[in-house]
Amino acid sequence: MSSAVTSTMASDMMPLLAALFLTPILASTPIAFAWAFRKDAPWARKLPILSVFGLFVSFLITLYILFNVEEGTKYVYPWLPAFGIDFVFIFDYLSKYMGALTGLIAFLIGVYGLEYMKDDYRLGWYWFCFNLFTASMLLVVYSDNLLMLLIGWEGLGIASWGLIGHWFRDDDELSYVGNMGRKVFGLNYFWSPSFGGWRAISTIRVGDMPMFFAVAAIYAFAGNLNISEIHWETLFETLGAAGTAILLIAFLMGPFTKSAQLPFSEWLMTAMTGPTTVSALLHSATMVAAGTYLFMRISWYIEPWAFSNAGMDAVYAFVLFLGLISSLYAALLAAGMWERKVLLASSTMSSLGLMFAAAAASKWLGEFAVEVSFWYLIVHAFAKATLFLVAGHLIHVTHDRFCGGDTEVAKKMKLTFLVTAFATISLAGIPPFTAYWVKSAMDEVMHGLIEHGMALPLTLLITISIIYSAFLAKFLSLNFLKGKKVHLHLHGGGLMGAAYTVMVSMLLVLLYLIMTGQEEVAGEFFHEGFVSTSLAVGAAVTVSYFFALIKPSIPQLSTVGRVLSDRLYMPFLNDLIVPKIGWVLVAIVDVCNRGVDFFFHQAIPAFFESASKSIRKIQKGYLASYMRVTLAAVMVLLVISSIVGW
Amino acid sequence: MELIASLLIISLASIASLKYRWLGWASLVGVVILVPSQPAILLLAFLIILNMLSLELMKRSYLAGVDYGLVAFMAAATIYAIYSTDLSSLVAAFVAVSVPTYMLVMASEERARTDTGIKYITFMVLATVLFLIGVALAVFASQTGDETLYAIAFVAIVVGIAIEVGVAPFHQWVPDVFVSADAIPISIIASLAKFVPFIVAFKILSATYMGNGTLIMVVAFLAIISMFAGNIGALTSREHSRILGYSTVANMGYILATFVILSKPEFLWIAFAGALLQLFANSFGKVGFFAAIKDGGSSPALTYTLALSFIGMPPLMGFWSKVLIISSLAYSGFIWLAVIMVINSAISVPYYIRLARELGAKDIRGLAGLVVALTVIATLLTLLPGWFIDSAKALTAFIGLGGV
Repeated sequence: MSSAVTSTMASDMMPLLAALFLTPILASTPIAFAWAFRKDAPWARKLPILSVFGLFVSFLITLYILFNVEEGTKYVYPWLPAFGIDFVFIFDYLSKYMGALTGLIAFLIGVYGLEYMKDDYRLGWYWFCFNLFTASMLLVVYSDNLLMLLIGWEGLGIASWGLIGHWFRDDDELSYVGNMGRKVFGLNYFWSPSFGGWRAISTIRVGDMPMFFAVAAIYAFAGNLNISEIHWETLFETLGAAGTAILLIAFLMGPFTKSAQLPFSEWLMTAMTGPTTVSALLHSATMVAAGTYLFMRISWYIEPWAFSNAGMDAVYAFVLFLGLISSLYAALLAAGMWERKVLLASSTMSSLGLMFAAAAASKWLGEFAVEVSFWYLIVHAFAKATLFLVAGHLIHVTHDRFCGGDTEVAKKMKLTFLVTAFATISLAGIPPFTAYWVKSAMDEVMHGLIEHGMALPLTLLITISIIYSAFLAKFLSLNFLKGKKVHLHLHGGGLMGAAYTVMVSMLLVLLYLIMTGQEEVAGEFFHEGFVSTSLAVGAAVTVSYFFALIKPSIPQLSTVGRVLSDRLYMPFLNDLIVPKIGWVLVAIVDVCNRGVDFFFHQAIPAFFESASKSIRKIQKGYLASYMRVTLAAVMVLLVISSIVGW
Repeated sequence: MELIASLLIISLASIASLKYRWLGWASLVGVVILVPSQPAILLLAFLIILNMLSLELMKRSYLAGVDYGLVAFMAAATIYAIYSTDLSSLVAAFVAVSVPTYMLVMASEERARTDTGIKYITFMVLATVLFLIGVALAVFASQTGDETLYAIAFVAIVVGIAIEVGVAPFHQWVPDVFVSADAIPISIIASLAKFVPFIVAFKILSATYMGNGTLIMVVAFLAIISMFAGNIGALTSREHSRILGYSTVANMGYILATFVILSKPEFLWIAFAGALLQLFANSFGKVGFFAAIKDGGSSPALTYTLALSFIGMPPLMGFWSKVLIISSLAYSGFIWLAVIMVINSAISVPYYIRLARELGAKDIRGLAGLVVALTVIATLLTLLPGWFIDSAKALTAFIGLGGV
């Protein structure tokens, strides 16, 4: 795989790559400026079309790359020749699919956003951040160079902050997360958009800092920053077991926080304060997936299955269980959740955990595990983006962010209902729909771990799959079939409907690729679907789905549900314990500050003042006393000198 | 031969100046014929001219015009001391620079300030006596190899010049005399009169030094006391002259510190260049500040430049002199002394800035303004200090004693 990589200095690709990253940004500058200077002009509200056109151009280029660029090609452009650092774009199996996926989803959500956001008060900010995000994401996807990747990585962070806090006035109840005014043990249990934005960026920072140091350490020890060129095995040997573990954990802190693994999950829940389009693009399909994608990418080239290093092995085992436990935690949360978007956010976190776990299993089961993880990412991205877009539409028509809607909704919004039903069934892993095949392969991967003495992963995966299927059915049931009666404000919605219909139809394309074996890797999953474990899990998942569809809420378990929808009180870590630690640090710094102030502004001046005064006190003005002192000093020195000379 | 001619011209000019004060300037001719084309000596000539120019700021003096002659006489002795390697000439030069200051210190525009004079002269006499005894014993002891005697002689010489120039703890006269004397004569005592004691002591001690490291420690010890006493004493002083008095004590400490180079003769030239440049930096600064005091203030640009030179701000003269001294200390293994010197430079910042602020409240004007401006130009002459270091290095050829 990595040996097949060829590196080229292709100048003919230069304009195309420049267009790929710059078109979305340039296309969104007119509206950014228009909003700053001529917000009320009638043409200003038409400019978003230009932004979406920029996304479309990027999408076409990603398609061109997918179909026309040979797999394993690298394009190298000089950047910092003195340090041996170049702009390196890599087009391998992962990046070609991921790029096209990003391009398509960003474009479709852009189209959806034209209608969803049309009456918004801050379109310049929204579209600029949205397109900046897309460009950054594409940069992350196609980067082989870690330093270049970090530029995109930071772009994701800043755009995410800008978009989550988009409704910064915090004046619309619909944009909050949590029950308004609710307090738990004195802590505010609801979150505003501006606070959500802050929680996101501050959490991600925590992960980015160690990641920067890890990248610097990789450069220092390997002398190269290109993921596909670094001799990982040699690097790990140089660092030793402990060094390798520290390096990998520090590096993975970035992906862990970006992909909201425990205990960094809280920001993703309150990221739902942003517009739904943002939740769909950033917080289901792309940005949060960037963390898992980066983990897959480095695993792809580290090839942890090919050699052994105590430090590396421990880290992969850690990621395996971190992913599974995060996934279980999030699945439980989603089962208890009432808010449409937060339910989907938890389910996203759950899926991200599965991606981490499957990719980490590659340590024992080889490259196939990474491919399974990556295909799960793809399937999940289309299905979850669809569900988010549906949730956004529902929030628009019901003016309510909590689940609600009876069969009247299903009747009046037939297309939406069918799309939701298909997306949930496809994602749940019900045979023979799309995710079933990928999940079957994942079952096989976890099954394979039993041979390596780990039975727990498969158990956890089956548990998670059952819960996952149940809350997807719950989402469908509570919004379209058995939820409370809602009042619908139906008008328009055509563009939104079109966007998520195209989005969900991608699941059929994927299904086609799997069933026909047109895609070599995906074709392998087809066989896994007929293994007995997979069939058993598929049956269990189907039962769970229909059970939840019929009985979406169980009043007897409302206490448990409350605990789960309170996210097992994880917000206390974010909003109480960590700030308390911060305040303790502030207090310590304050004390040190006062000490420094006292030392320099009081102690030192006072010391010198008194010293100076005592030196000047000798000046009495009497010659006789001066002579006494002088002669005494002369005598003393002469005595000393005679002793010295003796 | 030139020396005799020089002294003759100075004497005649002084006699003539008793009648007409301005004729005292004629004595400058006697100095000029002694000046060789050595850059460092030309810088000294510049200082001498500034000293004489600042005498113009006194409307009258009990010395009539003889004060010009006295300055010229000190100048001639200073130049001679730099070039002489003859013991008796060096001793004579020491006395010849010391004695005229006895008269200068009493000069003022009203009457002779005898109370100031008595305080000053008493110390100077003690200094001269100790110095002379020390020199005689040192030469004798070094020839006979008597280390005990040499230790006493060494200390006597060091204490002699310490009292002469005002190194703590022998500095009591300095603040008192600086405050009570007229600003102009004291500016001469604070500048021109400081060269010879150090140069003569440098020559005699480096020629006779017998390798006793403890004696070097005594010198270092005195230097440290002087730096701290001077800089800390100046911090709370109010009168400008008193601040400059303590500043002198500190500066003399810096220069005395260069004597530790005696233990590492191969780096002598760095120490000598540093000491010489520090003498110049101190002299120009003192002449400028005292002229400003005499005139009741000067322009802030000028006073701040002088203050920054004293503090040691690059690229002014006071910076380079401190760099040279600190490197010589480092080369001779006295890193800790160099650190203490840097700390002292930091301690000195507040009072120099205060001095610059309080004196720099006026516009530049008249003769005093010219003198201050010229001193500022002098601090800028060593922007690139290479020429001075080369010249000072050439002058180290005359360190040592002929015929001893």
